[in-house]
Amino acid sequence: MASIRLHDLTKRFGRVVAVNRLRLEIQEGELVTLLGPSGCGKTTTLRIIGGFEHPDGGDVFFADRAVTRLPPEKRNTGIVFQNYALFPHLTVNENVAFGLEVRGVSRPEIARRVGAILDKVQLSGLGGRYVHQLSGGQQQRTALARALVISPQVLLLDEPLANLDAKLREEMRFYIRHLQQEFGITTVYVTHDQAEAMVLADRIVVMRDGVLQQVGAPHEIYQRPQTAWVADFIGLSNFLRGTVVNRQNGQVSVRTPMGTFDAIGTGTHGPVLMVLRPESLHFQGAGANRLRGIVRERAFLGNLLDYRVECGPDCVLRVQADPSRVYQPGEQVDLTFAPSDAWVVPDQDERA
Amino acid sequence: MRRSWLILPVLLFLAVLLVVPYINMVRMSFLVKPPGAPFINEFTLANYARVFTDGFYWMILRNTFWYAILTTFLTLVLGYPLAYAIARAPNRRRPLLLMLLIAPLLVGVVIRSYGWLILLGRVGLVNEMLRYFGRQPAELMYNEIGMIIGLVHIFMPFMALSIAGALQNISPDVERAARSLGASPWKTFWRITWPLSLPGVFAGILLVFVLAVSSYVIPILLGGNNVLVIPMLVVQLLLDAFNWPLGSALAMVFFGLTAMLLWAYVKIMNRALRWSLR
Repeated sequence: MASIRLHDLTKRFGRVVAVNRLRLEIQEGELVTLLGPSGCGKTTTLRIIGGFEHPDGGDVFFADRAVTRLPPEKRNTGIVFQNYALFPHLTVNENVAFGLEVRGVSRPEIARRVGAILDKVQLSGLGGRYVHQLSGGQQQRTALARALVISPQVLLLDEPLANLDAKLREEMRFYIRHLQQEFGITTVYVTHDQAEAMVLADRIVVMRDGVLQQVGAPHEIYQRPQTAWVADFIGLSNFLRGTVVNRQNGQVSVRTPMGTFDAIGTGTHGPVLMVLRPESLHFQGAGANRLRGIVRERAFLGNLLDYRVECGPDCVLRVQADPSRVYQPGEQVDLTFAPSDAWVVPDQDERA
Repeated sequence: MRRSWLILPVLLFLAVLLVVPYINMVRMSFLVKPPGAPFINEFTLANYARVFTDGFYWMILRNTFWYAILTTFLTLVLGYPLAYAIARAPNRRRPLLLMLLIAPLLVGVVIRSYGWLILLGRVGLVNEMLRYFGRQPAELMYNEIGMIIGLVHIFMPFMALSIAGALQNISPDVERAARSLGASPWKTFWRITWPLSLPGVFAGILLVFVLAVSSYVIPILLGGNNVLVIPMLVVQLLLDAFNWPLGSALAMVFFGLTAMLLWAYVKIMNRALRWSLR
């Protein structure tokens, strides 16, 4: 186990800057997800950590030891790829044993450790099968076993669940988290699926165009996005454009064309965007933050009803409410929200 | 198999132009060759007896197989690195490299063989260079060396293409995974890349061997009168000696030996590639 430190990491492909002066510290035993749209540099970052790409600038440290110049085979990392990258000409046993064999571990010891790890990932009895005789989920667990059996310092996962069907993907999120906790292994997990990042991560690193946007625990990223882009990228957001007219111990008053509202936010002044999550808007609640609107559309999501409510010119708000009370399209409604649910970000950045 | 009638035209084509002549040749190989005529309709086993007992035919058979095996081996050794370079080239550059590999196939074998004359002939580029540096000129044409150079040159694309196809099917992530597990680039190649490329290697070997063992034009053009292979000998027997039965018998024996060799080869190949059989 080792902490990971990325220091001013930069990687260019021709004119494209894939990773731009990335700084990040990952604690021992922590699971960090790199989250962002495709082309944001998350996979490149992972490959640099694994030693498959050489950065044009900056350094990678494992436990305060610079590994930037080490080839992949000297880094002792376990990697699981999106396509699993299993060795098709070897059986499950041989796949898992590969890393131990090249390390010169003795035969009985290999057999013991391969058996133990296959037990752990519930593949015992399938050791003699070839890769193409396994289901997608079994291939996934073989890849995990192969990466973990060498007791790596660092576990790198590159969209490991993207090729599984939706239901299995859900289960595997918890399973991977469980394995990671049990091994206590420092893990970097690349994904473009924010739900996956939310479930798995101790901290989420949001990236865009090679630049780190925000680092934080899942609830921080969701509730306190630093920029409009992050707010838009993570979850669903309503934005109300306005200006801060008053400020008092962390609470601000924002004047918008729909009225003046109380919100929270630090260090913002001038033009702002007020971020309102669809589940923070309530019909006919109490409170000073009140908007009047007309229901325009309604969709049934199972556990929720999803409304589009028109509150003014150029202002349509997404509202998600529990289905016990149903509002009809055309109905006039009052929307309220708590000041603590209204988060203010600077209005300078375009959205996702 | 409701669509099986789709292969009828090809079956018909093959039946008329391949199976019928072959059957005719089998019949011919059992007929008597009298003086003054190509054959008469009289059964004999003498043609086969002669092919099997005359050491000369065995020597030519052995030589023919040896040239083919040597050609196949050299195309493999030279073609594999080439195929690797093509398969691992950036996507942008790969079509160009493939074009360069295939381009020689657009020029006829005869023209290409004469191209070698300019390079390897008695007053060709190579020998003029040797002379310039005060060395003895080397005999590079109209012998085994010239023929092997020509065969390797002409069959190289077939080997490189089938290997490149197999290599391109290997995800770079598989090699990355091996590296991350502690294997050096060298070990990664021998334990992972090489075995996974074997389907292409086996296919290339099969293709080049069959083409090389049956080649006729190149041995004539580049081997001159100093090299004799079975296809040349068969043609000589049929056209020059006018001995159709003996030529047919020799062709049949050659065909039989090649078929046996290929059968054994496919057996071994299937065993080695068991992992890829679904």
